[in-house]
Amino acid sequence: MRLSIDTIGGSRSGLQLEDVVFKAAVYGVILALVLLIVIPLLVVVSVAFTPTSELFSNPSAWFPQNPTLQWWSVGFAELQEGLLHSLVISVGTALIALVITIPGAYVFGRKEFVGKQFVFYAIILSLLFPSIVLVVPITARWLQWGLYDSYIGLWIAFQIFITPFAIWILRDYFSKLPENLEEAAQVYGCTEFGAFVRVILPIAKPALIAVGFLAFLNGWNEFLFANLLTTSSGVQPAIVQLYATLHSGQGESIPWSMLMAQALIIGTPPAILYFVAQKGLRGAFGP
Amino acid sequence: MSTVRVKLDVARERLDHTRAAFSRDWLTYSMLAPVLLIMGVLVWGSLLDGIWMSFHSFDFLGRREWVGLENYQYIVGWDTFWTSVRATIIFGLVTFSQLAIALVAAVAVKHARFRDYISALFVIPYTIPGLVSGTLWVFILHPDLGPILPLLVDIGLLEQTIYWGTQGDTAMAVIMFAATWAYWPLVFIILTASLDGIPEEQYETARVYGASKVQAFFHITLPQLKGAILVAVSLRTIYNLTKVSQPLQITGGGPGFDTSVLGILVYRFTEGSQRFGLAMSVGVILVLLTMLFVVPYIRSFERNADTGGMT
Repeated sequence: MRLSIDTIGGSRSGLQLEDVVFKAAVYGVILALVLLIVIPLLVVVSVAFTPTSELFSNPSAWFPQNPTLQWWSVGFAELQEGLLHSLVISVGTALIALVITIPGAYVFGRKEFVGKQFVFYAIILSLLFPSIVLVVPITARWLQWGLYDSYIGLWIAFQIFITPFAIWILRDYFSKLPENLEEAAQVYGCTEFGAFVRVILPIAKPALIAVGFLAFLNGWNEFLFANLLTTSSGVQPAIVQLYATLHSGQGESIPWSMLMAQALIIGTPPAILYFVAQKGLRGAFGP
Repeated sequence: MSTVRVKLDVARERLDHTRAAFSRDWLTYSMLAPVLLIMGVLVWGSLLDGIWMSFHSFDFLGRREWVGLENYQYIVGWDTFWTSVRATIIFGLVTFSQLAIALVAAVAVKHARFRDYISALFVIPYTIPGLVSGTLWVFILHPDLGPILPLLVDIGLLEQTIYWGTQGDTAMAVIMFAATWAYWPLVFIILTASLDGIPEEQYETARVYGASKVQAFFHITLPQLKGAILVAVSLRTIYNLTKVSQPLQITGGGPGFDTSVLGILVYRFTEGSQRFGLAMSVGVILVLLTMLFVVPYIRSFERNADTGGMT
């Protein structure tokens, strides 16, 4: 025993050197990745403040000499209607998602019924479908049913993405609650449904908020369905406008600074929301 | 005729049983109904409808006409389709660059201070909508106006700027780079969760026995991450094979059809021209392609079913 302790003691200085090298590698990797993420974003922020004349005269300048707010106001004004559509689409998507998935997830988390496992797998498996494949039949149906280019059409279509995720996250949350909560509530005079509404739902609030945010994010970020199911004279959300602006011109004819300001206007709310929702999603998603 | 009677009794008993189960569980089933409706009609119904559509051609009024396998025959004999399949498979390889970065990042973060903040920062690219990050990279890597390529020319690293949009392989490289940048955090999230599950004692034991950090990585970390890596790779491969918005924004599928991954091909057939039949026959092939990667995913999901969760 004594011998082995000595051996460890003897190799300590070697270990320390290894530790130093290891620490250096750890922080080197982290620094490199932070730069890889931060630099492009800083470039874009800087360009969004750059006057056109500077942008074209000296492309490799990293910061504007005479920063301007012009692009933010022009870009915002142009996006205004689209942002409003985005907001209505996202809020509606989130509310409908909650109404649909909360009861379903509750049942998956706390009840037994025939075919439970099969149905659950049928839901989860749909996460693995290429959604582009579903957009074709849905576009055809929506044209037929008059849901094309309408808020309701997008609210319903976006449930495809959210339902499986929400069921998964909420099911896990509900199933981890103490076993006899409902029975206790029923002893005090609640009905079975009353126990769900008055006891379970309030406890599950953090998870419900997180799922609501997630649904909102999806409604805000989704491009493909939004583009194929709307027109520019209808309820087209802001993100589709980015696509249209970029592909309507070439090189110097594209208002790059405005486009970058618009990209930031559209990209920032989801990033912020993600961090707000992240705590509630911790159990389901990780860090 | 007692056998008939017995059978009737059995049937009646079964019916009673079902009825009893239903009256006991009616609340359960009615709470489940909206989800079943969405998933049944929108997802599975649309998929079946889509497969059915692939055997039809559509006129301008959206009327279907049965054409059998004609759509499939057409695309199989069409060179562009095979260019597209090739582009999809090459683009699908970004899974590995995403995995490599995520693995290095996850191990580094595990040993760093301020882990939560660093992880949060790493996830930023993933929170940005794919179409938005596509827009950012189109500008940043613009051959004349963006800051990077002209800078490389200025400092002499490049002889002249690269018009990557005009060549198939450079255009592919750019969309693969952007996809790596935007989507590696998902792999990182999965691997981090799994890394946290490895008991610290194992590393202490390894240290007592004199194992180096590198040895510990190969003998403890990597074997225990295997399941998570498999999940992340199959999940990411499925998503990468079906990516549309980001590559569409960056190259529009060009030059020619060199970066038209199958998703973009489906999109092109659906948008404007509304050739739904052709779109779906490409779509069905895309589904079959992704199914190859669903099998390992489901297997590992089954294995981890008890611990409940994707990792």
